Parts: sequence; C-alpha cells; structure tokens
Amino acid sequence: MSRPRRDPRAERQSHDVGATGSRPRYDRSQPLPGRAGVPPIVAPARSGMTTQPQPAKPELRIVDEPAFLVFAVVEAPGGRLSRFDRQVLGAARLLADAGDGGAGVVAIASHSVEGLGEAGADRVLLFTAEAMPGTVAKALRQTVDALSPRHVLFAETGDSADLARRLAIALDEPLLANVEHLTSRQAVRAIRNGRAEIAATPPRLISLGEDRIKPYEAAPCEARALALDTAPHNDDPAILSVEFIPGDPASLALSETDFVVSAGNGVSDFAAFRDLATHLRATPGASRVVCDAGLMPRAAQVGASGTVLSADCYFALGISGAPQHLQGIAGCEHVIAVNTDLHAAMIERAGLAIVQDAQLVMPALLQLLRGGER
Amino acid sequence: MKTTVLLSHARHPVSDRPQLSRLEAQAIALAAEVDEAPSGLHAGRNETGVVAALGHGLTALDRLDLADTTDPLSALAAFLTRQRFDLILAGRRGEGGHETGLLPYRLAAILGLPILADAVAITPGAAVETLVVDQAMAKGARRRVTIRLPAIVTVHPLAPPPRPFAYGPMRRGTIRRHPVDGSANAADLDTAEERPHRLRPKLMRQSAGQAAGANLYVDPTPEEAARLILAYLEANGIRRYGPLNDR
Repeated sequence: MSRPRRDPRAERQSHDVGATGSRPRYDRSQPLPGRAGVPPIVAPARSGMTTQPQPAKPELRIVDEPAFLVFAVVEAPGGRLSRFDRQVLGAARLLADAGDGGAGVVAIASHSVEGLGEAGADRVLLFTAEAMPGTVAKALRQTVDALSPRHVLFAETGDSADLARRLAIALDEPLLANVEHLTSRQAVRAIRNGRAEIAATPPRLISLGEDRIKPYEAAPCEARALALDTAPHNDDPAILSVEFIPGDPASLALSETDFVVSAGNGVSDFAAFRDLATHLRATPGASRVVCDAGLMPRAAQVGASGTVLSADCYFALGISGAPQHLQGIAGCEHVIAVNTDLHAAMIERAGLAIVQDAQLVMPALLQLLRGGER
Repeated sequence: MKTTVLLSHARHPVSDRPQLSRLEAQAIALAAEVDEAPSGLHAGRNETGVVAALGHGLTALDRLDLADTTDPLSALAAFLTRQRFDLILAGRRGEGGHETGLLPYRLAAILGLPILADAVAITPGAAVETLVVDQAMAKGARRRVTIRLPAIVTVHPLAPPPRPFAYGPMRRGTIRRHPVDGSANAADLDTAEERPHRLRPKLMRQSAGQAAGANLYVDPTPEEAARLILAYLEANGIRRYGPLNDR
C-alpha cells in the first residue's frame, strides 16, 4: 500500500504569502490545503485519484484500406472477452502490424461482444446464430474465400480449436496447432510430448496456446461491423438435436468455475455464507483454517495444498491471505477482499479492498441481493 | 455398439517411457459405458505403452504394424473402413507424434463420418443408431448433442477419470497384429525442421491494472460495503444481478 508522497517544496510554496521584497515570507499557521487533519488513509480513497492528471483519451486508430486482413476467432462466452480471447486478438494485431503494417484485424464472433475495439479489432464479423462448429466452419470457409485473409488465428480451446481443425480440413491447408511462441517471422510449437519443437514462418491457419502472447494495449481500434451475406444454419443431417445446458456454479468444481466466493476465519455463520454464494451465483470456497476445522469440505479448499483457481473473480470474506492461499488465487484477475485487518496481505492483493467485519457485510449483501431480485 | 478407441504412442513426461495417454484412458472409460467389449486401435511397432489400455477396460487391441515415421492416416482409414465401427473415440490431440489434433478430422473426412469434439459424457440415444454426447464448454456449460451413428467423438480432459488399472485383464486381453501393405503408406512425416524443445515461460497471470490498495475503503457501513461489492462485480462484468435497491 503506497502512501501519497509528500512534496515539501510545494508545501512551502503554498504557505508563501507573496510579499514583495527580497525575502520570501511564509505563513506557517495556515493548514495545508487538502491535508489538514486528514487521516493517512481517506475513505473513499478513490477521491484522491481525481487530483492526479487525467490521461487524455487516446485517439481512435482507424484503418480505412487494410493492406491485408488477419482473422481472429473469439469465443467470448457471455458477450465478454476472456483473457485468452484478448491474447488471440493481440497475436492478430502483432501479425497485422508486422513489416509495413496497415493491415486490418477482423474479429469473428458468434454473438455481439463488448470491448473488441480496445482489444485490437479493426473490423467485426458476427455470425449471429448460435450454431454448431460444423456449420460455422462452412460459413467461415466462404468468408475466407471471399476476403482471403493472410492469417486466421484461433484459440486452442473448446469450439475454437474444433473450428480450426474443420477449417483446415475444408481448405486442405496445414494448421500450426497450439503455438507456444509467435513473432511476425516465426511460429514455434512443441511436438513429441514436448521433447522437440518445430519452427515455421507463420502459416495461414494458426491456433494459439493459452498465456503465450500478450494482449494488445495501445490505442483502441474502431471495431467497425462488417456485413455478412451468409448466415450459418444447422443443416448437418447427422446432428439430430442440440441442447445447451448452462453451468450451475454451486455444483461446479473450483478449478472450472469463473467466480469463487471464499470464507476464512473471519466468517462464523456458514449457513449465511452458503446462502450468499447461491445468491451471488458463485462457487463456494474456503481457506485452509476453515477446512481444517471441518466447517467446509476439503474439496472447497483454495490454495497451494487445495485447488489452484483459474477463475476470473475471487471474493474473499474474512481471509487474511497466507502466502499459500495467495498462490492459489494468483491467476484471478479481479479480487475483492473483506477483512477487519487493514494490513492483511489479502487487502493489499485485492482490486476492491474493504476493511470491515465480514459477518456484518454478508447480511447486508444478502439483503441487497434479495431486494434486487424482486 | 461396436466401439474403438484410437491410441497414440504417448511417453511419460519425466522418464520418457512409453505409456498410455491419460486422455485416451478416459476415452476407454467412456467407451466402456456404451459397449461392454470395446477395442483399441494403435498404429506403430512399439506396444509396451498401449497394452496398459487392456488393463484399463479394453478387451482387445488392434495394432497396425507401421513404422513410427510413417503417416498412419491411410492405413487407419483402410482398417476402419473394413471394420465398420459404430463409434470411434480419440483424445483431442494424439501424443507422441506431431500432436496437431487433425487426425480424427482427416479420418472423418475420408470415412464421411460426423465428428464431435470435447465429449465429457456419452449415452446411447432413445432411438437406435443414435448417441447423446455432452460436450464441455466454457464456464462449466454443457452442450448435449444427439448424433446419428456411426460417428467420431474426441474426449475432453474433464471427462470422468480412467478406470483403475488391473493386471489380470491386461494379460487376458487379446492383441491382434495386422500387417500393413507397404505401398499404401508412402507418405512419411516431415521431420526436417525438428529441433530440441526449449521451455518458454508463460505470461504471468496478474490482477487487472490497478495499483494495490487503490480501491481501499476503511470502515464503510456494511450497507455501503455491499453496494460497493455489487457495483464492482457488475462494472467488471463478472455477474449481472438486475436492478438493485437505492443505487
């Protein structure tokens, strides 16, 4: 936790009474503007952020006539880009900006997605129907034939990996699968159980391994929507019916879920805690202390000796954050901590830190959630 | 339902000994749910690793006598055309070779079969010659697809764990060795650009941006804290809880 640093020169300057003459005159009896009687940590601390210079809004990056196109297929479950999707767009941006640049990145999604421009997409192509990979592959093949992109990038997971292979078969082109290292000149992938590797110039079809390429972080691109003339339809005669079953967070394994609410020593009412997890639609977890005491099952333990999470968000109630526990949540992008100890490691790790008793915050949250659902 | 599981020549990551790939052992467990006598299919000369599949639930193993450097696609396709299996199971990517994961898709194209990826559960369908496949999707969701047989299905790591290994069934299981016509597999795998693998670090997973403690609130009222938490969850797109009171 960094304290705002004192600036003695500016402080002295603010005491200057501005007297004419050769000697500077200071009035030290007046309190400093904005610092008088203020405790070292202000609540809410966000107001302190406004004094810092606001970064100017970055300019939109517009590519009108792309020299060539790079396709990036994003899955974006729930209309939100995942880490992996951002990495795929980052890799597409890397290949598009190579050499002279001036190329366009086309993001391909099956439903509308937020934040594609910030992630580096110049154009967006939507297959509006939720279709099976086989039919999406047919539509994608037509689009590839029509627009002839230089590269098509996929994530090596789920439907995206399936689509990559179907497209490779349809186009009869090689696929460089599960790429570990990608630059504009070469792409490297492991073979033979990780004993050997092959390097090649990036081919047309590439699927990327997770956590290999940095996401794009420079000026946002425009993400202009492209018109699509072929909408995919499920017309595969071998597929008789398709049913989508959403995941139930309460029954999911900790390693598979995307949102975990976890209880530590600061929680004593576990009925309320389970109720809260249900209402938040989160998977319940626990710290080692709680599991050792038998208050939560061992399968719920988060940390080095329990489950190492891959969730997006972690909500810690009454957990101080032992190093072994923090190892378990190292992969979580958003962390919320509620703890009575201002100096706990979890408070320092958290993106939203609240110094308050978890036993008091739980009923307030429950009340708010129950009120909102009416 | 006549079922076979494609077995690759996986190796142990530390000892480098031939072993059965875990994903293929999971595929055997799935196959045993729809077929009481599933068989396996392996193309290669070395059978020390794949015989373990007999101990994990296969009753028979077909081995095509093929050099490890030869592309097994045409030999596999010819064998599968002769045998007419109802269901062909495979891992997402075979291990030990080029590991592109394209082989099941190539076989599907040659044999004219439908292919489904990432199965975590399979059950026989209500009608004959159909199969219900649960596919794993992001965030614990499942897609339940009913498919007409014959078909090729690849297996996801979240499928049920493999059956425990048993030594007796491994000794009792039959291994059928099939010679392969040499002229049929002229295509050798390209090994020219291979080099020793170099481990490359993965990107660190870190929290999104904010300096530590930037969003710190000391002793807010519990109601205020609850509002802050829900606002944070909704602003970052974790969950949406609908309209909330006095916001």
